[in-house]
Amino acid sequence: MRRRLFYLSSKRARIAASIYERSEREDEMADSKFTMDRRDVMKATAAAAGALLMPEMGWAQAAPRKGGTLRVAMPYNPGAIDPMTGRNLTDLNTLYVVFDALIDFDPRTLELKPGLAKSWKFTDPKTLVLDLVEGAKFHDGTPFNGEAVKFNLERYKTSPRSNVKSDLATLESVEVNSPTQVTLKLNRPNAGMPTILTNRAGLMVSPKSIQDAKDGNIDRAPVGTGPFKFVSWQDNDNLQVARNPDYWQKGLPHLDAISFKIINELPTAVRAVVAGEADLAINLQPAQKPIADRSKNVIATASPSLVPFLAFMNYSKPPLDDVRVRQALNYAVNRDEINKIAAVGLGQPSSAILPKEHWACDAATQNYYTYDPEKAKKLLAEAGHANGVEIETIGWADQLAMQRQEVIISQLAKVGIRVKLTPMSPAQGVQSYMVEKKGAMFISPSSAYPDPSQFYESLFGKTALRNASGMELPGFRELLDATMEAQEQGARKQAFVKLQKFVNENALAFVHYISPSVSVRSQKVQNHQDSLISVPKLGGIWLQA
Amino acid sequence: MHRLLALIGRRLWQLLPIIVFATFVVFSLLQLVPGDPAVTLAGDYASKERIEEIRHLYGLDQPLLVQYGVWLLHAVQGDLGRSLLSSAPVVDLIAQRLPNTIVISTYALILAAAVGIPLGVLAATRTGSRIDGLVTSIASLGVALPSFWLAIILVIFFSLTWHWFPATGASSFMADPLRALWHATLPAVALSVGVIAELARQVRSALIEVLNSQYYRTLRAKGLGPGAMLWKHGLRNVSVTMLTLLGLQVNRLFSGAVVIEAVFAIPGAGSLVAYSAINKDFPVVQGVVLVLVVIVILVNLAVDILNALLDPRAAA
Repeated sequence: MRRRLFYLSSKRARIAASIYERSEREDEMADSKFTMDRRDVMKATAAAAGALLMPEMGWAQAAPRKGGTLRVAMPYNPGAIDPMTGRNLTDLNTLYVVFDALIDFDPRTLELKPGLAKSWKFTDPKTLVLDLVEGAKFHDGTPFNGEAVKFNLERYKTSPRSNVKSDLATLESVEVNSPTQVTLKLNRPNAGMPTILTNRAGLMVSPKSIQDAKDGNIDRAPVGTGPFKFVSWQDNDNLQVARNPDYWQKGLPHLDAISFKIINELPTAVRAVVAGEADLAINLQPAQKPIADRSKNVIATASPSLVPFLAFMNYSKPPLDDVRVRQALNYAVNRDEINKIAAVGLGQPSSAILPKEHWACDAATQNYYTYDPEKAKKLLAEAGHANGVEIETIGWADQLAMQRQEVIISQLAKVGIRVKLTPMSPAQGVQSYMVEKKGAMFISPSSAYPDPSQFYESLFGKTALRNASGMELPGFRELLDATMEAQEQGARKQAFVKLQKFVNENALAFVHYISPSVSVRSQKVQNHQDSLISVPKLGGIWLQA
Repeated sequence: MHRLLALIGRRLWQLLPIIVFATFVVFSLLQLVPGDPAVTLAGDYASKERIEEIRHLYGLDQPLLVQYGVWLLHAVQGDLGRSLLSSAPVVDLIAQRLPNTIVISTYALILAAAVGIPLGVLAATRTGSRIDGLVTSIASLGVALPSFWLAIILVIFFSLTWHWFPATGASSFMADPLRALWHATLPAVALSVGVIAELARQVRSALIEVLNSQYYRTLRAKGLGPGAMLWKHGLRNVSVTMLTLLGLQVNRLFSGAVVIEAVFAIPGAGSLVAYSAINKDFPVVQGVVLVLVVIVILVNLAVDILNALLDPRAAA
């Protein structure tokens, strides 16, 4: 599944890096357009007046065009289109077009926005009140209301088939105050709950569709309130959705339909866009960007994501039970070089798990560990490994991963850390390292959670699958709890900065870089936004004639 | 004639143990490879408890033989189960995808026969000539070329540069045969090159052997014309070799389709089995293997019947 065509030369890496910088600058310029000076305002007023007089001209061109089918190439077949039983981040590509979440978010900053809940507030740290929009309907015509919210959240929390139970672990009960208001009672303070409701656990399914389905199984028959209605799905081939004419957000969607084409081979997906057989290819790898850049008729973008490439460490096993060895690992790698080779220079070299664009990231933590082989050797010697040390490591077996791992292994070898690598398929690696507790390290990317508190819990919590050590360092829990108890975002950020500092000082993570999310689109695709969670929101796109 | 019927009866009877054996081997192989479908099913955000729950939910905590037995019991009743990954019925998946694979494989086989056999005949009747040298070199090259590489080169020229053929996808043969063939042309060409090379080489060497044989010299001594000799005696004698080869190439085309379907994003049986095997979606793998085994056995049976008609000694 994760076979990737990989090629690279340092020259190409530099070109690609310069393109990325350029696109960042363009983004900044785009942002700066929103700051107008007086002359701009006058021009705009004049233009607006002109546009009023001549509706066929001027701004009329910039208005979204109605109609057309967006053809999207994506590499992964959805696991299911029931938010509860699907299993991978990329399922959200389709979930977000059929379903709306209670709370929406800005794809570039992850700041929360009103969704099916037009507003929300914590009346106390354990009580979250949601005010719901009026007039929203599910695709089967049934109304969206407080009862539907209660039904969905309880289903997510209790169904034996639910993969999102852990997301709602802090939810105690749901009370329906009125058709447009619900109260979520939490069993402990969790300021991350609104963010959790932007993801799977907040997606609202028609209760009637579940009651009518055999065994309540709607894996292949999703009914939501979203901008598009589900039409058909042929496994690993295509998935079709059509415009929801009664969408509660007036004026949306612009498109008549979206046709998802599932193309597992990423270079094939890029060729489909270049050949005009698809309009947009998403969830690509960095190596595809320089390839696509060679075609004049497409736009390739790389944007930050929440997916760090790292080595999970089992810090209950020698030699990683010694913090000095973990620190030595962090000092021994040249992250710029890894980023250039493994991500064509498009990622963010980082020793922190969050990208610098994330509201909870303290940029300083990204550079906590810099390349310092002498310091690494000194730390190893202090830990009693003056003659080097061997670390049993599990990695991925595909070509791209092997290349990435070889760079890391050769860098570590220079300070005397000998990595004994066993390559496996991703699922097999999870099984061996996390379940069977084999090896002391596992080199892999890590899918991020919508709320950073969840993400830290998933990586370092005592019972977390990804924490193979099965232990927590003293002090971690208090710092994590503080991130959930602080209500206001500024205070939460301060709590995360402290937590990240703790993770850095104890070298609990061995992050290499934050991977970019890459997409390629034809020039007629308008209003496409790459998202920090690597899943684009397709509801607002329109196609130029 | 009754020998032929006996042959068919014998072969069909052999089908059963082969199917049970093949599916059991594939099933065991899937189990032997480390990794647990429950981990895949639990997904990116798995917890330990969730993995255990899923293992129980899908019966993955049962002993190997019990799991296989349950599958077999349902399979003989025509129920191939549902995909673990997407819960789509396996029968539907195969019905949607197999036609695409059959179209490109048949297309490739016809191309290969139409090009490979004449090339072999041409080279064999002119041994040592420049044409022979050319055919032999082309054949060696064809065997050596990786089909996925050739496929990408074809796409770059014929799709992206000249826009003659589509770069991706497939079209239903039943709905629009011409459009389906248009979609299938590049994949079929990429798939057929190795087979063309193989056929040309084998036909050439088989025919050379016949042409150098004693009886062929006798025919010439009796004054038969070269055309009649080649068509009536030469080719008829290599026809058994050709048929057997073509039968073997069917297996090769099906396995080659796994790669070619990925390059062209064709929703076929090959890409289905590859994706399912990697994700340990064993009901799907089992179902596809079952169908492919039946197809391969039936093709071999057809070849044997034709061979028996061409050469009665073969039916014995």
